[in-house]
Amino acid sequence: MTDTFLVGFLILFPFLSAFIAWLTPSHSARTGWVWITAAAMIVASVMLMISGPTTIMIENSEGLSTLIGILDLLLLVFFLYVGIQAKSLVITLLTVAQLLPFIWLEWLSGAHHEVDPTFIVDPLAIIMVLVISVVGSVICVYATRYMKEHEDHLHLQKSRRPRFMFYMIFFLGAMNGLVLANNLLWMYFFWEVTTLICYMLILHDLTPIAITNARRALWMNLIGGIAFVVALIVASTQFETLSLRELATEHTGEALLLVPIFLLGLAGFTKAAQTPFHSWLLGAMVAPTPVSALLHSSTMVKAGVYLVLRLAPGFEGTAFSALVAIFGGFVLLMTAIMAMSQSNAKKVLAYSTIGNLGLIILCAGINTPLSIAAGIMLVMFHAVSKAILFMVVGAIESKIGSRDIEDMEGLCAVNPALTGILVIGVISMLAPPFGVLVGKWAVMEAAGTTMFGSISFIVVLLLALGSAVTVVFWIKWMARVMCAMPETCECKKEKLPAAYNVSLWGLATLVCVLSVIAAPVVTGLIVPAVSSWYGTQAGITSTAGLNLDFTIGAAPIIFLSIIAFAFLLIPALVIKVKKSAVRPVYLCGENIDYAAAWHGLADGRFDLSVGGFYFTRVLGEEKMNYLAIYIGAAIITIAMAIALFL
Amino acid sequence: MEFGYAILAGIIALVAAPIIVGLLSGIDRILTARLQGRVGPPFLQPFYDLFKLFGKELIVVNHFQLIWAWGFFGFSAASLVLLVVQQDILLVVFTIGFAGICLALGALSVKSPYSYLGGIRELMQMLSYEPILLASVIGIYLAKGSYMADAIFADTTPLIAQLPLVFVALLIVLTIKLRKSPFDIATSHHAHQELIKGVTTEYSGPYLALIELGHWYETMFVLTLISLFWANPIWIGILIAFVAFLSEMLIDVTWARMTWRWMLRVSWAVGLALVAINLAVLSFFER
Repeated sequence: MTDTFLVGFLILFPFLSAFIAWLTPSHSARTGWVWITAAAMIVASVMLMISGPTTIMIENSEGLSTLIGILDLLLLVFFLYVGIQAKSLVITLLTVAQLLPFIWLEWLSGAHHEVDPTFIVDPLAIIMVLVISVVGSVICVYATRYMKEHEDHLHLQKSRRPRFMFYMIFFLGAMNGLVLANNLLWMYFFWEVTTLICYMLILHDLTPIAITNARRALWMNLIGGIAFVVALIVASTQFETLSLRELATEHTGEALLLVPIFLLGLAGFTKAAQTPFHSWLLGAMVAPTPVSALLHSSTMVKAGVYLVLRLAPGFEGTAFSALVAIFGGFVLLMTAIMAMSQSNAKKVLAYSTIGNLGLIILCAGINTPLSIAAGIMLVMFHAVSKAILFMVVGAIESKIGSRDIEDMEGLCAVNPALTGILVIGVISMLAPPFGVLVGKWAVMEAAGTTMFGSISFIVVLLLALGSAVTVVFWIKWMARVMCAMPETCECKKEKLPAAYNVSLWGLATLVCVLSVIAAPVVTGLIVPAVSSWYGTQAGITSTAGLNLDFTIGAAPIIFLSIIAFAFLLIPALVIKVKKSAVRPVYLCGENIDYAAAWHGLADGRFDLSVGGFYFTRVLGEEKMNYLAIYIGAAIITIAMAIALFL
Repeated sequence: MEFGYAILAGIIALVAAPIIVGLLSGIDRILTARLQGRVGPPFLQPFYDLFKLFGKELIVVNHFQLIWAWGFFGFSAASLVLLVVQQDILLVVFTIGFAGICLALGALSVKSPYSYLGGIRELMQMLSYEPILLASVIGIYLAKGSYMADAIFADTTPLIAQLPLVFVALLIVLTIKLRKSPFDIATSHHAHQELIKGVTTEYSGPYLALIELGHWYETMFVLTLISLFWANPIWIGILIAFVAFLSEMLIDVTWARMTWRWMLRVSWAVGLALVAINLAVLSFFER
């Protein structure tokens, strides 16, 4: 009984809360209400984790299904209206192409399959709900403060914050519904709700570029929607089921199964902004930063890879699986290369997000229990790390007025707290013992064990190259941030607002704690998730001493955590330099003004300036974009051919 | 490895590695000098230098570079310890990778032209050798069926028989790691540089000694990795590592420094190609 209540709460309470937030005129009251909502959602999701896996069958759900069908119809009609109003042929045609099959499926196709159970609360769903509810709630709290500053900067006459918080909170409920649903029609409804909210939030600032990019996001996600509906039609007619679990696990090897799986996978790819659909996510960076943090890194795009992970048992051991792995590896490498040429911090984060999503898809493609476990681990840890990074970039942007990396030079001396969080965020993406690196390590271990013969080394090479290139663009950014002048003045301690402190330091602490206890998290949540869906063990033997032990390798997480604590954290907190020990940098003895300039040619004054490397001649975005689109599309086409004809 | 033995092995490694690498460094400097028609420093000069540096006054630019120096030292030592206690080689490679990141960040933490360029070139060096190293470890898995180093000791077939091309590629990695020409691009071990001292320009005194010590641990790590290519009996592996070190020294005196673009091209086109071919052949036969 309590499980049904918890599930209902996690899905429906955000809807109610969103309306309350929208209708509250007072800003401080709304902020207080958001804090209460956040606390409630976090508590509810933790309670769901504690109460454990279960399934929920809603008896006599015909009424609810009809209601959802009608709401879906209204949604699609709204998209049609958007397309007509925008005079956009693409949006209009795509919506019609989705509307007609949907109407057929929902009302004209006849048999409506009872989906048993309606909701599945398995460990993977619990993990997703935790990520959505905890990280999402924290971002909403951050957003209350950020949007205030955002609107102050824009000198808005009439506040649009009620509308903003409405969509943000509503989104949490839709995402929870998406990951808990086993009924594919219900999942489709929540899927399209997230598309709608994504569109609404990208165009929030109502600038021309925001509207353009919102429309681009809309039509690319509509492609995914069409694929979703067609997949449902095939599943309904060929396999007589609309249950995700049944489709993914009980028809493996049957003819034509790869068709709905490919189509659902394509829907997942569009939602996760994989190449060639990546440009909508890049364009979405014009939205206010909480949108980027919530939708475009932690949660909505995770829905796409979540679906691919769910479907993985369905294509296990096929050539299609190999192609999915290669596709994921290609996206990882390509986006890492494209991030090298970016000086816009949010675009770097966007490319990195797409790359990590590609990595998770690679995990699904390798399709062993170990790789799926690695994928789930990446979903969890990447969500937290990216949320931190987007939020801190938003805070930095508020402070210095720019999101360009070149303007962040020397930030560590000016804003040590924000820089500290930024460094924690970046290190948590790169370093042992943090979760993202451990996940990457796990997937590389799994890649060595792949069964598809001699092309597995393509996957290994893509992984190795992708991994190496990601290090370069992260550290290039850190270089600009850390590039500080000689320490001749005291760093003034800046005070961050409460909302920023709670959200930023809260998530920073969470990522550190979660990484240290990664082993119990893996055995407690992730391994059961893989076992329950796959029916096999994940090849993880024990977690003696809080270290991760696989049958083929081990991660001494505690040892590495101690090293990181002793040799990075302690020095960071403890080391102070005396003024008398500080010297200017070496400028061949030709210093002017201590270290600000030097005597150069003809004894002229040259101001010391340092700039970033962006390799734009070789790695310019235009050129790389073509490669990304065409090769990405080519791989997907080959995958489609395999799905249809093999 | 049992926990008690592991602690003992770790401590021995931490103490012995600087001594061994210091002595190797001394041999390196004398032999290089003789090949160049000079007399060379005393045999124990590296140790004299280290102690001299530790005894100097602390001079810094800002405190951030010191944090990263500690990070480099800590993670280099940690990687060596993990390898010696026969832990997961792939994770150890990631750990030494992060040590390199710390070194680069230390160089990049000061607004200095030479240090900054050195740091960026250090990143290019990492970009060159990381893929080779990562792919090689997967090769070790394909050969031995496990990522743990004790699996290499358990098998009597020497690793070099199964991964000969990977071994050659790892020599490229060794050259880059030892900062020998043609790959002494970010900083060099001798006093011939084009960026003053590149990565370590803005370090002096005790922290330069700390970085030197970290570099010695890093060197010991790569030499240990190479010696694993003949683990049964291990003295052959040690001999191979010693010969590799001497040949690095020979390459250093005969080659000029090249550009980072050349290094990247050679590493990927030659190093990765060798590893890829080796992996392909091995995985074909494993079926």
